[in-house]
Amino acid sequence: MEGLLAWLVITLIKIVVILAIVLGVGAYLTLVERKVAAHIQRRPGPMVVGWHGLLQPLADGLKLLTKEDLFPRYGNRFLYNLALVMALVPATLVFAVVPFGPEFEAFGIKVKPILTDVNIGLLLVFALGSMAVFSIALAGWASNSKYALIGSMRKAGIIVSYEVVITFAVMGPIILAGTLSTYDIVQNQIDQKLWYVWLQPIAFVVYMFAMLAETGRVPFDVQEAEAELVTGFTVEYGGMKFGLFPLVEWYIEVLSLSAIAVVLFFGGWSPINIPFLGFVDPLFFLGPLSPFVWFVLKVSLLFLFVLWLHWTLPRYRIDQITETAWKVMLPLTFVNLVLTAVFAPLIWR
Amino acid sequence: MVKRVFERPLSWIERIFFLDFIRGLSITIRHAFRKTITTHYPYEKLTPPKRFRGFFGHKVVDGKEPQPVFDEWVERFKIKVEPGKSRCVVCMLCKRACPVPQLFEIEGEKLPDGRRRVSVFNMNMMLCTFCGFCVDACPVDCLFQSDIHETASYTRRDAVLNLEILERIGRDWQRRREEEPDRIWIDDQQRQRLWYENQVKLPEVKR
Repeated sequence: MEGLLAWLVITLIKIVVILAIVLGVGAYLTLVERKVAAHIQRRPGPMVVGWHGLLQPLADGLKLLTKEDLFPRYGNRFLYNLALVMALVPATLVFAVVPFGPEFEAFGIKVKPILTDVNIGLLLVFALGSMAVFSIALAGWASNSKYALIGSMRKAGIIVSYEVVITFAVMGPIILAGTLSTYDIVQNQIDQKLWYVWLQPIAFVVYMFAMLAETGRVPFDVQEAEAELVTGFTVEYGGMKFGLFPLVEWYIEVLSLSAIAVVLFFGGWSPINIPFLGFVDPLFFLGPLSPFVWFVLKVSLLFLFVLWLHWTLPRYRIDQITETAWKVMLPLTFVNLVLTAVFAPLIWR
Repeated sequence: MVKRVFERPLSWIERIFFLDFIRGLSITIRHAFRKTITTHYPYEKLTPPKRFRGFFGHKVVDGKEPQPVFDEWVERFKIKVEPGKSRCVVCMLCKRACPVPQLFEIEGEKLPDGRRRVSVFNMNMMLCTFCGFCVDACPVDCLFQSDIHETASYTRRDAVLNLEILERIGRDWQRRREEEPDRIWIDDQQRQRLWYENQVKLPEVKR
């Protein structure tokens, strides 16, 4: 009974902490994005609300919340609202299997800083990732607008292509780790003294492409395409409902997929790796906090890299995107998969 | 003959290592760490060039009127010249030159001593296209366009410039920028200064 109660309390605390961090950070990433975009274009970005615009996300949120909630005529209200739930819930649920650091002991209880260390963690991630297509297809369909529908169809096309690719891309690290649990994958990388990006550069590049495609970032943002489709499937949404879609797509999903990329390729919470030799930790003075700092650092660097790409590259056409997925990326991942499957046992066993 | 120019196709090395991506990324990252080049508009304002075509004004009589034209027009229309008042001689040339003449509402009045002067001079800025023909037409260098470009107002009535406002703009202009040399090119130090820094003594103009 005692054990059950402790487990319940710990899980609840974890849920609250993770939700607070993810949603709060997600809101503030809007500011980060605007600042990065602005400086790349040699503007200062938001400067008025708070010091260097630090309170801007709050002001934006207030503005969105106080706006009128419009609903398109002849739309389907149930699906219209369901699309929002379908967008937000799977994207946040991915964080249930993201390990933030190594196991530690607090008040005599061992705590893993991961919500559920299920042994099929990665499958869960990609299952939830493919749920995103439902939200977008539903949003486009329920809005009763041709722009929304075109946007959602484009997005669906992209996701269907890149779901396949991303799944095959992560096969390489899975084979090297020999497990699907995210926590164990990181632990294996630490034990083998190797970040998998050193052995799986192709898989990493393909993963990055697929990540950009799934989250609708430039160069694969045809479903937004503000020049042609205004903003794609979010066209008929208003107020906070409109604000939620970019929040989920651009920030929470990018964040979760960056976290998974760090787990798969960059050794999760481990410090800088020298392949096969060991780890160098310039942040050793932080003591037990250092793994968490490393994890956050890697995820934010990856996120900034995605932003950097976003504000550099032009947009591809939908046919070019799907063509790259099926004709280039997928064969590459097959080659990578076969090579890994052949050579990995030779090295480790 | 049409010369056909093709883009050089990417080499295999460029394709495999994303060299063109990297080139683009290096450009954006270099720009990201440079100084921003914007003006924080409501807090900082750039001074427009002297030739800027903004709101209109009436220059006032201050002894710098173009001679002998001014005296000729004054002679012809028996205008009463008062220092500190508008130079306008009610010749209506501005109205004749205007593509939308109804925006001008100009009237003169006859004083008891037989001389005349302008009594009404309204310009409805809702109709104005800021083409500057009236300024070119003005024979006595009275009507001019100032650097006032923040012209938003809450009512339509505020968009009508009457004689008093025009004279006020003119006096302000003559105090502030009349002596400024007329520069139009971008290497203009005066223009690059911010609005509030612009209270400096203007350089002497050699005539």
